[in-house]
Formats: sequence, C-alpha cells, structure tokens
Amino acid sequence: MSESKFEKVSSLVDNYHNDKNESVELFEQLNTDSVLSDTWSHYHLIGDVLRDEIPSEILLDFSTQIAQEIAYEPTVLAPKKSTLFNAVKAKVVQFSKPFGQVAIAASAAGFMVIGVQQNVAQNEIIMPSQVFQTTPLAGFAAPVSFNTESTNRLSQKQMYIEQQRRFQALLSDHYQQVKLSASKNDSQTLPTLEVEDSVK
Amino acid sequence: MKVLIFLLLLLSTCFSAIAADSLPVKPAIENSPITTPISAKLWLERLSTALKTLNFNTSFVVVKNNQAEPYHWFHGRDEDDLELEIFATLNGPRHDILRKGDIVSYIESEVSPYSVESKKISGPIPAILSADISTIENDYEFISVGRSRVLGRVAQLIRIVSKEQDRFGYWLWLDQESGLLLKLAIISLKGQLLEQIQFTHLDITDSLVDTLIQLKQADLPPVIEVPIINQDHELTWQVNWLPTGFKQIKANRHSMSSTNQPVEFMLYNDGLVDVSVYVSASHEKQRKVEYVMDGATVVLNQVVNGFEISVVGKIPSNTAKAIANSIGIKAAP
Repeated sequence: MSESKFEKVSSLVDNYHNDKNESVELFEQLNTDSVLSDTWSHYHLIGDVLRDEIPSEILLDFSTQIAQEIAYEPTVLAPKKSTLFNAVKAKVVQFSKPFGQVAIAASAAGFMVIGVQQNVAQNEIIMPSQVFQTTPLAGFAAPVSFNTESTNRLSQKQMYIEQQRRFQALLSDHYQQVKLSASKNDSQTLPTLEVEDSVK
Repeated sequence: MKVLIFLLLLLSTCFSAIAADSLPVKPAIENSPITTPISAKLWLERLSTALKTLNFNTSFVVVKNNQAEPYHWFHGRDEDDLELEIFATLNGPRHDILRKGDIVSYIESEVSPYSVESKKISGPIPAILSADISTIENDYEFISVGRSRVLGRVAQLIRIVSKEQDRFGYWLWLDQESGLLLKLAIISLKGQLLEQIQFTHLDITDSLVDTLIQLKQADLPPVIEVPIINQDHELTWQVNWLPTGFKQIKANRHSMSSTNQPVEFMLYNDGLVDVSVYVSASHEKQRKVEYVMDGATVVLNQVVNGFEISVVGKIPSNTAKAIANSIGIKAAP
C-alpha cells in the first residue's frame, strides 16, 4: 500500500479530489481493500474530531450494527388479502355516503337561511337613518319602533353622561367640604396633642 | 409475645394518628389573631407618635380603580417644634397640601389656593392615624394579625375593623423599626380590596429636609374664614339613621363647587370616615337609586318626591342606601 493512495483518500475525504476518473478508481479500491476502507473511516473520524462534530456516543462501525439488526429482524410474510375486511369497508362507504349527502344538503340549507336573513337585515337597516348602528336583538321590528329605540338609546347615553357629571360633581364637592370642615371649630372632636402626651 | 407486639403496633399507630391530627391545628393557632386589644392599640399609638414627631421623606402610590396615583410626602419638626408637612401629587395637575403648624393650605389647579386653620390634613392618609386612635375605639376593633415583609422591611399587620357590619376595614402594615406606615388597604365586608396605599420609599432623617426648610420660609395663602352662619344652618330635614359613632360636623347651604347647583348639606364623621349628605330640589319627580364606587368612596344619588338625595363617603353602598332612606322632614318642635 503506497503512501500516495492514503494521501488520495485524505484529499477525497477533505473534498479536494481533482481528477474524476481517479476518484472513481479510488472508490472501487475502497470497496475491495479493507485497509483502505478502514483508513477512509478513520480519516472521517479524525475530521469530525477536528471540526468538533463528534456525537456523544461514537459508533465506529455503524453499518455492521445495522446489518446485525436486520439479521435479527423476524421475517414478515406477506398476509393474505382478507375478503372480510373488504366487505366491511364497502359497508362503511355505503353508510357514510347518505349521511354525507344529508350533511351537505343541511349546510346548504343553512347557508340559504343565513343568506336570506342577511338580506332582510340589510333591507331593514337601509330604511331609517340612524345615528349609530346597532345589531337588532330579536326579530325585526317595524321601522317606526326601530327609530324610537335609537332615540331612546341616544337619550340613555346623554343620561349616562349626565349621571357621570353628577357623580363627579358630588365627589369633588364632598372632598372640598371635608377639607373646609377641618377648621378650628372642630378641635373638640379631635383631641389636642397635650392630652395625648399625658396619656403616655 | 405475639400479642404484646400487636399491642405495641396498635399503640404506635394510635400515637401517629394523634400526631397527624395535631399537626394542622398548630399553624392555625399561630395564625389566629392575637386579640389582646393592648398590643394592636399600642402599635397604632406608636404610629401616631411617629407620624407627629419623626422627620421623614417618603413616597407612596394610591391604587384605586385600576389607577395608580403617586405622591411625595415630607414631614418634620423644626427646632421650635413647629410641625411641617407636604403632600404633593407627582402625576397630572398639581394637588399639593402644605402644613405649617395649624395652618393647612390646599393648592389645586381648579381653585385658587386657600388655607384653613386645622389640626388635621384631609389627604390620602386618614387623619386619625396621626391623632388619638382611642376616639374610634367604640366603633372599631384593633386586631394585630401577624408579620410580613413590606418595602423590604419587617412589617406588623394591624387591622381596624368595624364592630358593626356597616363600614369598611382598614389594614395597616407598620414598620417594626420606626412604627411608620408602609402600606394601607381598605377592604370591603366581603374581603375585597377596594383601595390601597403602597409606600415605595422611606427615609427617616435626623434633621429637616431642604423642601421643608423652604416651606418654613414660604408664605402660605390666606386663611379663609368660613362664616359661622354657613357652618351651622338649621335645615328642615334630618338624617334619622347613621352607623354608630357618626357625629354631625356641620350643616349648611352652599352651591356645589363645580356645577353651582344650590344644595343643603350635612357632613358626618365617625373619627375615621367622612360622610356627606346632600339634599336639593330636582326638576325630576322620581329617579331610582344609582351609585358608583370610586375606590372605597361610594357616591349614591336618587330623586324621591322631587328631592334629589345624595350620599358620599367611604362606606359600603348598603350603608349609604340606609342613610339615604332614613332622611325625613324634621318633625315640628
């Protein structure tokens, strides 16, 4: 075994092969020559270590292990085609088909209903001029009652603002009155410092 | 021999069962409040003295309605034993409270600054905490609950709980070392947190801080004299029911500060809580009761027979309703 051959293997491992014919020749030798194939794997291992790519568990000979596993694997004989299985499958298909059709029909009907409802709803909304749009709660009221409801809501909003203003006014007045209440006249309700000190 | 071993086994299982039984009981005893009224009251008295005498510079945040309002609080006493104090809001429009002895000034963005002669500050911290706590002893119980860690310090939790189920509870976390307030929470009757004051830093100094020295030199706005006629007005109506301990502080006719609506007004106080009652004529005949909660403060409003009745204060809504419903025309003498 010449040194040049190992060198060639090394360059092949490092992806530096120049001549295509030469590398094809080398691959054939790798197949036949056990020393050379060992060198090939050793070079790869060295490369992996240098590049820090070694796995936690080094399997030096992966191929032999796989070969062993295959040898241990029990032979599975191809099972006979079961006629029973086919029969069941056919039945299932028969059952599921009508159901599927019913489901499709039902959903189509559902779409139609929704579509119709949407159309009705749209027509309804177009009629009265509303300040703010609300989704109708139940059924479809006549335009007149719809209109009155909207004004009710408007006044409700106004009432809410009014209410908030009232609460705010009360709150700020309460705070101010409390501040003003703490005048000299209240000294009777609050004990003086001297009394407290004498207690201690 | 066998019988003896059996007996021993039986005995040992008995003992282990007893031990297992007694185990969960033990922490329960430790957690149960020490109901000796002296200890909790002593803590509150210590707080009061600390709030009056110490030089401190602290920050806190008032948390209510999902909002946090930060404050800076300075307190100190100068060489002449003059008490100086500043509460300053840090966010939004200025709301400062300055105190120099018995003169308290309120500086607000909406109204021109004014001063009142008073011993108590009506600010975010209940004034009673720096006054004599024994004045509310008849209506509230003081319970010492246990220790925890607040603001990186060892804190003692004291609860001020109403004896009747008609007022909120106040939980106070007090600094083990100085006795000062580290946290305050107002808790509803159902145990719900309504409002909370969390201190974020605390400095206790030997001498006055610069801000307070500046305050000492500054001139406070003039003291407003509230006419006595305005303070105690004879009104034609009265409140027939209030929780125990509430006393009338004043009764007057005035115009609401923001709306100028004329109202008849009464202010009640139980030492810890202020409750305002408003009565005014309304253009409406009847409006059912409405109320909102601003943190722990309830604002109740309703119109009955053409009279608008409002109740405002840090009380449960049911108590406010009961107060509003008890209002009646004063019987002729």
